[in-house]
Amino acid sequence: MITRTNTFSPGAKFIETQGKVTARLTEKYGQDRKVELDKLEEPIIWAKNPADAKLLLKSFMIDPHLKVDYLSDVTAYDNEDKEDGDKRFVLVYNVTSIELHTRIRIKTLIDIDQEAMTISDVFKAANWLEREVFDMYGIKFQGHPNLRRIMMDERFTGFPLRKEYPIKRREPFSNNIPFHLGANPLKVDTHVTENGDKK
Amino acid sequence: MSKDGSSFFFPTLLSDAVKWAQKNSLWPMTFGTSCCGIEMMSTISSTYDLARFGAEVVRFSPRQADMLIVAGTITTKMAPVLRTIYDQMLEPKWVIAMGACSSSGGIFDTYSVLQGIDEIMPVDVYVPGCPPIPEGLIHAVMHLQNKIDNRIERMPAERPTPEDAMNAMTYRKDLYQIKADFTITPEYVKEQEAKREQKV
Amino acid sequence: MSINTKDEGLTDLYNPNVLINIGPAHPATHGTLRVMCRVNGETIEDAACEIGYLHRGIEKLGEDKTYHQWMVYTDRLNYCSALNNNITYAMTVENLFNLSVTERCMWIRTICMELSRIIDHIVCVAANALDIGAMTAFFYLIHWREEAYTMIESMCGMRLTTTYARIGGMSYDLPDNFTERLWKFCEEFPKTIDEIEGLLNSNRIWIDRTKNVGIISKADALQYSITGPSLRASGIDMDLRRDRPYYFYPDLDFDVVVGSNGDVYERYLVRMEEMRQSVRILKQCNKRIPSGPLWVEDKRVRIPDKIDVYTKMEVLIHHFKIFMEGIDVPKGECFTATEGPNGEIGFYIVSRGGPKAWRMRVKSPSFMMFQAFEATIKGGKIPDVIAHLGSVNIIAGELDR
Repeated sequence: MITRTNTFSPGAKFIETQGKVTARLTEKYGQDRKVELDKLEEPIIWAKNPADAKLLLKSFMIDPHLKVDYLSDVTAYDNEDKEDGDKRFVLVYNVTSIELHTRIRIKTLIDIDQEAMTISDVFKAANWLEREVFDMYGIKFQGHPNLRRIMMDERFTGFPLRKEYPIKRREPFSNNIPFHLGANPLKVDTHVTENGDKK
Repeated sequence: MSKDGSSFFFPTLLSDAVKWAQKNSLWPMTFGTSCCGIEMMSTISSTYDLARFGAEVVRFSPRQADMLIVAGTITTKMAPVLRTIYDQMLEPKWVIAMGACSSSGGIFDTYSVLQGIDEIMPVDVYVPGCPPIPEGLIHAVMHLQNKIDNRIERMPAERPTPEDAMNAMTYRKDLYQIKADFTITPEYVKEQEAKREQKV
Repeated sequence: MSINTKDEGLTDLYNPNVLINIGPAHPATHGTLRVMCRVNGETIEDAACEIGYLHRGIEKLGEDKTYHQWMVYTDRLNYCSALNNNITYAMTVENLFNLSVTERCMWIRTICMELSRIIDHIVCVAANALDIGAMTAFFYLIHWREEAYTMIESMCGMRLTTTYARIGGMSYDLPDNFTERLWKFCEEFPKTIDEIEGLLNSNRIWIDRTKNVGIISKADALQYSITGPSLRASGIDMDLRRDRPYYFYPDLDFDVVVGSNGDVYERYLVRMEEMRQSVRILKQCNKRIPSGPLWVEDKRVRIPDKIDVYTKMEVLIHHFKIFMEGIDVPKGECFTATEGPNGEIGFYIVSRGGPKAWRMRVKSPSFMMFQAFEATIKGGKIPDVIAHLGSVNIIAGELDR
């Protein structure tokens, strides 16, 4: 009888590839960065700072052994008790490879007033994901095209997912948010010139 | 005819006829936000047909509807939209709060959920359940029909003004002061806790 | 007759600046989302989508409630397929414990996941058809959702928001005649799929409304990180059940449906075929459910049977501790994702020990999908927005959490 320790089917092909990916990660990128394993034996690499995280991501995409081409998730969590490091937040990127079916997690420590680099020029999916991180934690992303609140109302003050935010503090507004086409609306192509002639 | 000329036989029958017409043709404006919306869809489709009770015309325009079924969680971002829709409906109108979330906030007592739509509008029937089974919603519609027909004592609710609604929504104002450009810092939290200790 | 546009104020005829707000309360039955469009004639030139109208703070509640208490909120994420979310969450917490459940539990969970896939696809196709105007499909398919509801109700007591899975097992065992009922469902349901396909597949109106509408190209699909049937309809062959298999999926015989074009028609076809494949899986599971224990015998998570709770003292104390204090999850983190009906639904739990999570993150497929939707409706027409929205199965509970 095969004893399992997690939900994956034993003997599945991707487990072997995952092991190779972890080995490659430690060997090439793990010289001065910490590489650890989570409960499912998936590798977590700690980048030195947020700009390093973007650099790591880009190098993973080029690396022929890692073949990362898909972003699963961008999120953050509060490190208030400073157990993972001495800064306030931890920014987490989950990336996968569609060909090799493996996952890699990139984590970096980020301080409360520090700005992270946006990866929305590499993956378009990061656009709203980073907006959500900003909305919930207040982490700003440098170079983001549209950094404004996404889940909460734009006039809301405070960042809900921080540990000090009380869960029941509500802020109602009496009118709906105004119509707007986002932070970068496209230019309007008028068909009529100024003297009233059709173009 | 009575001595002062009022005819007390004909108007009674007319008002009864009007009530019969109203209660048997309640056109719902379904405002389905989340899980209760799916159960409302089940109620309206063929197994638990709500059209048997006159709610045939489910048009999504508030101007043509007389019953608003609010099914699902209403957040503070959605509340003004709901109030606008309620204001757009023409008299006479009735409101059914379907499910726990619209009756009282439900399992979500968080920073963005309105604790019940009765903070912003008068509600006629509350349907408990998470989500209530379709039989529950049908029971609510029948209860509303009895209410329209005056077979049940209708508690006269004072319709809240928009100012009342705004005041009701600010929950426990003494604890949470809402100011512009306000950020919660650890010092603020300690200060508030000290204040609360002092009061106790 | 010449029209002097300047004098007679007819410049508005050519005004490409009409703003249309497909607002949070709208007839397309897909929950509270807002699509703000700038329209030129009937072509959409610019669009912005606004979400957050159903943000209920579920992730913050994850830090406030114990692991068992939070199971209830997982139903409300993708409420059309609540069983799947429950099971994925239970899988994540079990991975944190590094334990795996018994075989009977795994087979029951597979049945639940496939059944919830069927009912989610039913809602998607039915709502899509209803929005486009094919009301018959809605009524025929919702009848089968009611049949599935009856089966689910016999399993766990509730139709929609089930909370069936527990950490380490399931809350109730299968009822006695479940196998026969499942057989009957698997025999009768494909006939309705055939009927609906006969109604819609070569229907001139359906093809005109859905072919080449809402195309998400392969490159876009990768860039926007969409998953599930929409990704497969765009031509990328990725299915977590086959590529990163969990439980007994390698032993099951099923095909992964991949399209090529990425338009609404392809997504509809992919969903219909996936329903057939799910029926195939259900038939195989039905034959292979082993008898045996339902719960894993690990003292950390085992919720004891009621008969023991009422008769033995230590078991009573154990039961009390599990529910009043919560289970003590070891330190660590874990990201587990399964192939939900809508895409890859994942839970990322960071635990610092103790009964409550430190961070509970839900990775929802609808969130990514809605981003891709916002980018791909530009250049289309307004009725195409409705057709596209229906095919992409945006569930607001999952989108906003």
